[in-house]
Amino acid sequence: MNTPSAQFEIVVNGVAHHVSSGWHSRRLLDLLRSELGLVGTKEGCSEGDCGACTVLLDGEPVVSCLTLCAMVGSRTVTTVEGLNSDHLERFAAGCERTGGVQCGFCTPGFAVMSSWLVDGGTETGDDSDAKLLEGNICRCTGYQQLAEVISSLRTISEDPTGAAP
Amino acid sequence: MSNQVSASVRDRALGRARYAADLVPSGAAVADVVRSPHPHARVVAVDSTEALQTPGVLGVLTPDDFAGVTIGRLIADEPPLASTARYVGDGVAAVAAVDHKSLLAGIAALRIEYEILAHATTTEQARTLSVDIHNTAPGNIASSFSCEQGDWDAAIGRVVEWAEGTFENAPVPHAYLEPRATVVRVADDHLELVTATHFPTALEEDYREIVRPWGTDLRIITPEMGGSFGAKWEHPTHLVCLAFAHRLGRDVVMVTPRRDDMIAGRGRLGMKLSVAIGADADGRLVAKRSRVESDNGAYSGHGSSVTVSAAIRADNIYRYEAVRASADLVYTNTMPSECFRGFGHPQAVFAQEQLIDELASKLGLSPAEIRRRNAVAAGDVTIHGWQIGSSGLQECIDEIETRIEAHRAAQTGAAQTGTAKSNSRFRTGYGLATCIHSISSRAYDPRFDRDDVKLTPRPDGTITINSGEVEIGCGANETLRTIVAEELGVAREILQVVFGDTEHGPYGLGNFASRTTLFAGRAAIDACRQLRRRCAEVAASLGLAETSVAEVIGAAALTDRLNELVVTGRFEPDNVVLPESSAYGNLSPAYNFAAHGCCVRVDTWTGKVVVQQYWAAHDPGHLFNPPGAHGQVIGAVTQGLGMALTEALELDPDGMVLNPGFLDDRVPTFPDAVPIEVIFIDIDDPAGPWGAKTIGEPPLIPVPACVANAIHDAVGVRLRQTPMTSERTWQALATRETMP
Repeated sequence: MNTPSAQFEIVVNGVAHHVSSGWHSRRLLDLLRSELGLVGTKEGCSEGDCGACTVLLDGEPVVSCLTLCAMVGSRTVTTVEGLNSDHLERFAAGCERTGGVQCGFCTPGFAVMSSWLVDGGTETGDDSDAKLLEGNICRCTGYQQLAEVISSLRTISEDPTGAAP
Repeated sequence: MSNQVSASVRDRALGRARYAADLVPSGAAVADVVRSPHPHARVVAVDSTEALQTPGVLGVLTPDDFAGVTIGRLIADEPPLASTARYVGDGVAAVAAVDHKSLLAGIAALRIEYEILAHATTTEQARTLSVDIHNTAPGNIASSFSCEQGDWDAAIGRVVEWAEGTFENAPVPHAYLEPRATVVRVADDHLELVTATHFPTALEEDYREIVRPWGTDLRIITPEMGGSFGAKWEHPTHLVCLAFAHRLGRDVVMVTPRRDDMIAGRGRLGMKLSVAIGADADGRLVAKRSRVESDNGAYSGHGSSVTVSAAIRADNIYRYEAVRASADLVYTNTMPSECFRGFGHPQAVFAQEQLIDELASKLGLSPAEIRRRNAVAAGDVTIHGWQIGSSGLQECIDEIETRIEAHRAAQTGAAQTGTAKSNSRFRTGYGLATCIHSISSRAYDPRFDRDDVKLTPRPDGTITINSGEVEIGCGANETLRTIVAEELGVAREILQVVFGDTEHGPYGLGNFASRTTLFAGRAAIDACRQLRRRCAEVAASLGLAETSVAEVIGAAALTDRLNELVVTGRFEPDNVVLPESSAYGNLSPAYNFAAHGCCVRVDTWTGKVVVQQYWAAHDPGHLFNPPGAHGQVIGAVTQGLGMALTEALELDPDGMVLNPGFLDDRVPTFPDAVPIEVIFIDIDDPAGPWGAKTIGEPPLIPVPACVANAIHDAVGVRLRQTPMTSERTWQALATRETMP
């Protein structure tokens, strides 16, 4: 399958990038990390087990290690670097408060998932956070703290006064 | 609120922390190792002709390029590339190329001829078959240890009840999220090795001996570490990258693919322990006999020291009168093992704490009471010579007992409790287990067990804190800032910590063995006191009245006297090098204690065990970072539950790892998280900075034992093998004689 043009456009964190057509058949993860320098997205397993490379495609989470650039199409990509900065600061504060980050390698993936969940993300409408986060492995913290962080972020987002717990 | 978040946590949460694979220089060559598909085979020839003609391939390394070189801090038995492959996954050649596509083509073009050798993939085979894994180790015994303390005959004369059994623990991969990654940068007169390691100073020392004959020198830079838990020390991939960088004159990066990392990374030592414990008529534990056989895998890492630890460490928590211990570390044709959070102790505690429950039952004592009656206390010298400076063990046991009783009472009337002896499908039971742990030791390097911290005031008024330690995600960075800010009376914001850069860092043994808070903390306090003295001297000579450290730094900067304020603090405890023959002596400057409890529900139809509630009580001393310490406990208990219930490296008879992936190994995922309550006993240790001990390893150690005791309480069967999978529990239920 040949692409007619030598370049194609891919929108990452609101910025349109023109990249060579060779990237069509390569992983989104590699484009982000080695071509665009967005190294906040981590490669933990390369096979979709761990979720460290999670990014949003039109607001929905995908593992970028199993996503070819050609699969992105016209959808926009959001990485940890492109998340709402207020959300990120609250996420960081929650991690500090609960001991929810240790080595930090899985944390960007959880930051992306937390943003999706707080924005109302769900697959079936009644899955628990734990179920929805099944694809993000953390070997350090034991999850309890991250559940607490996401729960408190949701409370903040539902309370427009922003009174943090 | 956000300005209260420490920089290290914020950087990681925002994806701004940089790990080795994030620091790849542009134009760097990519390299990978070619791994043996055979468990034991001699490399007859490596034909690289075709590989070197492959477009984009820059070079090939073979075992001949490292002739005579081995690594291993305790037993130097691992070559960077093996001329005899000793496990499936052993590196036998390496290729470097301009990009991954060329790299894969180059690897495919490499022709390696093997002579297949007979192999031994279990310790039994290694002991009995005619297989010689290292020709330096007769019988494939890498190391042996035995000791006896106390008057054995007198002690056993008083024993009225014995409990004994054989226990087995499967090897478990560390399963850190960051795969092994190494970057080597070529500088004018040296090579810069950028990689996550527990001990940069030791790495520099060992590798320098290897690279100096090449006519170059070495600097180690440690970026963030994406998890290790005892796996990331020296590694063959470091030397492969150094050699390529030197030979090609070009920066090199190697990131080990996850599947390779799971077959050729490292794992917890699989162990078999046969233990007998005898108690007198008063419920005093008087005698213990242990025999340990550890599966070393193909190379040793810290396996010899881990095995000694498994043989004797658990003895120190109770007032045994006599102990006999022996241990062998056995080479097999399997993935090399390595220390893993707990250093052999979770395996030993799994045996000891189950047997003590059996003795309690025989003697009519509660699990809590038999442990209280025998617990060592502050001021004790243990059976192996450990001098206990502080202990919260009694309080930890009390806290757990209280919670178990309250939980049990809340369930009273519910017919499914184990003690209610109902015949319903689901049975509930409670478990208790304890542990002691040391804080560092001289086992890693008999020459010293020391830490230095250097303070360098800068012209802009900031202070750089240099430590030879590393940040492994436990918050050592913030602990040092807290100590220095308080001791000097300066703002945290002016303090910058630089870890693990061997060009600028002072000596540090490394961040492992739960040692950094205590060791680097004490060195930092010493440095601060020196700096205050220097500040007073400079202030006096400048004619300044009593003034703050910050003001003196400012005045010294203006008068070009800042160099007088550069100080290096040191902590070197008076713990001793233990004699190899007995391992007797004071291992560590301080010891920490824990008691854990849990409630499990066992499905008697399927054998599935669900932990419904977990309690972890610890005595870490002063807490520099309470949420961080809390998080450490939750995370360690969760890792321990993985070891207890699901995780194991599974091998086929030919040594092939059958489950080289996170989910295949079954690491705990989010839905596996259980409610864990953390209890900290407020007790200060005389050796600790501000009374602090540490928290790192202990919260994992009692977990498998605690769960096993709860399973027994629920359904009356003893699980003597980890992981305690549903299948194993079901089989134990199916073969038992009667319901309790």
